[in-house]
Amino acid sequence: MSMRISNSTIRTGATACAVVLAILFLLPSCRKDRIYEVEPLPVLPPSPNKDKEKTNEQYAAILHANLFQTALSANELFELGQCIESIGDKELAREVIISNFMNEPDVIIPSDSVMRADIDAFVNATYERFLVREPTEAERTWFRNYIEADPNVSAELVYFSFALSNEYLFY
Amino acid sequence: MDRRKFIKRAGAVAGATIAAPYILPTGRLFAASGGGGQLASHVVFVLFAGGVRQQESVLQRYLDDSQGEPYAGNIMYNMLNGAPPTQKIVYGTGLGGINPIPAVLGQTLQQQGTLFPEMRAVSTGHYGGLNSLLQGDTAATQGLNQKPLGPTIFEYLRRHAGTPASKVWFVGNTIGNSVPLLNYSEHPDYGVTYGANFFAPNITFGPLGDEYLANAKVYHPQDQLAPMYEMKYFLDNSFENQGRVLPALGNTEEEKQDIKAFMKEMFNKTQNGTIAHPPVADSGDLRTVGYACELLKWFKPTLTVVNLSAVDGCHSNFTGYLASLHRADHAVGHLWDFIQTQVPEMAGDTVIIAAPECGRNDEPNAIRDANDWYAYDHSDQNSLRVFGMMAGPTVPSNLIVGSENNPVGRVTDMVLTIAEVLGIKSEVINAGQIYPTSSSLFDQM
Repeated sequence: MSMRISNSTIRTGATACAVVLAILFLLPSCRKDRIYEVEPLPVLPPSPNKDKEKTNEQYAAILHANLFQTALSANELFELGQCIESIGDKELAREVIISNFMNEPDVIIPSDSVMRADIDAFVNATYERFLVREPTEAERTWFRNYIEADPNVSAELVYFSFALSNEYLFY
Repeated sequence: MDRRKFIKRAGAVAGATIAAPYILPTGRLFAASGGGGQLASHVVFVLFAGGVRQQESVLQRYLDDSQGEPYAGNIMYNMLNGAPPTQKIVYGTGLGGINPIPAVLGQTLQQQGTLFPEMRAVSTGHYGGLNSLLQGDTAATQGLNQKPLGPTIFEYLRRHAGTPASKVWFVGNTIGNSVPLLNYSEHPDYGVTYGANFFAPNITFGPLGDEYLANAKVYHPQDQLAPMYEMKYFLDNSFENQGRVLPALGNTEEEKQDIKAFMKEMFNKTQNGTIAHPPVADSGDLRTVGYACELLKWFKPTLTVVNLSAVDGCHSNFTGYLASLHRADHAVGHLWDFIQTQVPEMAGDTVIIAAPECGRNDEPNAIRDANDWYAYDHSDQNSLRVFGMMAGPTVPSNLIVGSENNPVGRVTDMVLTIAEVLGIKSEVINAGQIYPTSSSLFDQM
């Protein structure tokens, strides 16, 4: 059986193809242009979101890790927690515990000459070690000026002040 | 600004600068002075001693009203008048406790002061009872593992009299049973800023303290501690703690140094065996009192509260209960004797007050001890029966107020009594936090 295709059928098919192609070509050009804006963000202090106070045991564990780079045993942690509990002024209790740790022979603290050789690096490292963040420029500058101005300020005293700071009590 | 105005303003600023440090948190310019309503400069309050039955204490019935054995007598002869038992002695020292501890005081506290032989407790539990003694309220909604809800006598004193932190002490015999929570409340108008210093000497200066606290490095106050604090304060200022109140009692740097020096001294004395323990110091309560004596001598506190609780062994051991009660009396006798003979700044200027936080049951439980004697819990009406006593300047001597059939006084009256001695009674009443019908024991004599 022979088939004949008329001219009008061919014309109709060609027109349909042209319309489809035109639609495919024009579709992308219908999209809206992207608009880029700046999302408003609150300006936070350098230590945001530290709103959970450490327990006595958490404080002792982290302090020991920061000063000795080793962990306390569960038993030692429990006992240290009891010692803190037995003193009403918790800040005083922490001072006494830090003073005890500082008297241990294996406490790891940079020497004063190392600290003074590159105060900025020391301040950065101390912030990262104790407060788990970098100092702001203002903080770094304050500490640099303070350490440079007072020859009595040792790395040990700087560590002591960080371990006793309010921010160190929170995570 | 002309010259006259400048001079006027400069004068006002200078005046304010001079006066401001002396204005108390209450707004008062001056603290209550000794010349006003104050009856004595110091108060020692003994929380006595873990649930005490009237029958074995003020009623002096020994075994007669508990074990069905006809042996009566007074085993608290430092505090109370009365002859000790003559038979079945089990509360002393030595094997079987057959050697009673000799009296410390030549004259009993009852002779020296006023006894309220029949008072009422408001709670049959320890923590509720301790809270009622320290808050002056029923503490009916007080949780067990929770700071006091209402202000304590420590906070009243520090806030309304402006007493420094190192002059207000709570000495606990344990860190269990929520005892360390009692040194300040969570009340928004008072709280930690007005709290008492606290030690649990059996921990602080015991084996644990020796291991973790005794070896503290001593820093130079000016050369080392001053810059350390300055750096700390800088860090604190940088830290925004988002509204959290940090638990700080408000000890000044000088007070902290003083407390640390005291701790150092205690570790030395403990090591040398020279703590001012009572003649017999074979229990935690007695050793606690030894350290309390040292604390009195060192700080001369305005208010010292000492908690004793070994008597609570009565839940399972009546023999041990008698021994503990005898020792609690020994502890109080030693404390009073020490104040009068070893602390000249406090002798003759201290009022001592003692009261149990709750009593104990009328009926025993099923537990029997080695002597086949029944033990007693604390939950019934008899547990609300307690006594109270006080001695010192302006306290009438040899006076008994009330009787077994005529109860006078409640444990909630203790706060106002202490407040009256220390000259802040009206401030405490005006604060509106104590039990409405509370009144000072002085007003009930």
